[in-house]
Amino acid sequence: MSTPNKPLIQIKDVVIGIPHKRRPTLIIVDKANFDINYGEMVGIVGESGSGKTMICRTMIGTLERRGGKIMSGEVIFEGQNLAKANDATWKSLRGKSIGYVPQSALAGPNPVLIIEAQLAEALRNTGDTKNIKARSKELLDLVKIRRVDTVMKQYPYQLSGGMRQRVMIACALATSPKLLIADEPTTGLDVTVQSQIMDLLKEIRSTTGTAIVLISHDLALIDEVCDRVVVMHAGATVEVGSVKELEKPRHPYTIALNSSRIDVAKPGSELVTIKGNAPSVGEWNPGCRFAERCSIVQSDCKVGNHPVLIGASGAHQSACIHTELLERI
Amino acid sequence: MAEFLLEAKNVSVTFGSGSTKVEAVKNCSLTLRSGEPIGIVGESGSGKSTLARVLAGLQVPTEGEIYFNGEPVYKGSKSYTGEARRQVQMVFQDPYGSLNPQLTGLNAVAEAVRIHDKTNKEESENRALKLLRRMGIAELDAIKKPRQLSGGQRQRVSVARALSANPTVLLADEPTSAIDQSAQAQLLNLFRGLLDDGLSIVLVSHDLGVIRYLTKRVYVMKDGVFVESGITEEIFNDPREEYTKLLLASIPGELGVAARRKLNKI
Repeated sequence: MSTPNKPLIQIKDVVIGIPHKRRPTLIIVDKANFDINYGEMVGIVGESGSGKTMICRTMIGTLERRGGKIMSGEVIFEGQNLAKANDATWKSLRGKSIGYVPQSALAGPNPVLIIEAQLAEALRNTGDTKNIKARSKELLDLVKIRRVDTVMKQYPYQLSGGMRQRVMIACALATSPKLLIADEPTTGLDVTVQSQIMDLLKEIRSTTGTAIVLISHDLALIDEVCDRVVVMHAGATVEVGSVKELEKPRHPYTIALNSSRIDVAKPGSELVTIKGNAPSVGEWNPGCRFAERCSIVQSDCKVGNHPVLIGASGAHQSACIHTELLERI
Repeated sequence: MAEFLLEAKNVSVTFGSGSTKVEAVKNCSLTLRSGEPIGIVGESGSGKSTLARVLAGLQVPTEGEIYFNGEPVYKGSKSYTGEARRQVQMVFQDPYGSLNPQLTGLNAVAEAVRIHDKTNKEESENRALKLLRRMGIAELDAIKKPRQLSGGQRQRVSVARALSANPTVLLADEPTSAIDQSAQAQLLNLFRGLLDDGLSIVLVSHDLGVIRYLTKRVYVMKDGVFVESGITEEIFNDPREEYTKLLLASIPGELGVAARRKLNKI
């Protein structure tokens, strides 16, 4: 087992922009801050467009291919700053120390490769080319695929969505990564399949000690499987804490998010909604970007930079500068 | 007046023939009273969307019959003829695909108003704006094209378009599955308002949280068959079928925890 409570990857003051030839660089993430410890399961939650996937890409080094750039800040993986890492460095990490499970299970696997070839490709990445077939079978066992021999010879289209996602997880696990990033791994899958995939992720975590980052907009799901939660809104981390700590949220956005949860609402009662829409990229006002939607907004919320997380890393942190007013909500 | 506003009697839908034959819906019967919200819940491939399409008049059932106000809906290859046509409207799952990308929200809704009411341009646009405002879309957003709107806004435009015909029944096929949690809450609040105004809603979903929140009765579907049906609250508190229990136990969060506890006890 790896050392607990020691950061495996640290995201420090990361600012991500999309450079443009003629127009000024568009900032899409401004001040993301959080740590992920060895063997920990962390959920990143936020609305679409809040920058969850962008942060994810900084952790697997695929940001630049998609036209993004880390403008400032540090991404420290096992003591190594990756914010300015080159392709060669990423090649030595991605698919080795850091595994990735994409959002769309249905489009994830290569459609013209049988599962065996798919896994073999991932396994060859490790540099060890012996016993690939046996190791492939082990991986499929690990992700609880039955009839392994049949599945090995099948094409992705012959598998169900849940099976395909299991194969993708198996590929990501091929190199026994220290960090596994799962970007909305169950979007578009059924609830029963979702709960199986979540059980699988939990089990993988406890047997292999892999740290897992789970990106989702489903708070209930994150509550159930993760140790800690990172809440993002309009490109900033607004609250970080353990699942237990977030039962008493200390940021108005998290409070609003919590109360719009349908699983705890009384049937037929008025659901609490968050006022307005999340501000679009490029239309951010000065100060806190949640201010326009906040019910306890004060005049000093709308000036200066977006507030940073207050509190020590590892503790319950919130980016709200008026936590004393939270009781009013 | 017939007892039921919308009724499906022993409906079966079969696709293909011979070895490729798929029975998507098998002998399903369902009733909807005026002003009632009902749900159809099931996994992908369970046949719930096919059944919704049958109810909407888009898919001729292989066997069985649909009645609207006591009148058969399908007459030969035609469905919902005359006045009945406007009374049953549908909202689709994908707000990205179901709106014309070339039309602004306003034009999309105004077009529907024009078709149903045979009014002129100005009148239809006024009514469209009213409908959109009721759905929480301001004029500023109404003149935007779908790509400029968020998923939740797009879905609300789709609902406004469906309402433009003044329907008595709204069929919603997974209306919340492609949008964010807060947008989902907004849409459900809207649906609740529509129910208060007397609209009947058939909600098709795999999201049990949404079903529990909005519907009074629910049909649980598996492999084309209704395995269980009844009052939503009773089914959530005391599911009889093994499959329903499993489905409930899979919900993340509070709801699932209770169901899982029960499942483990047995």
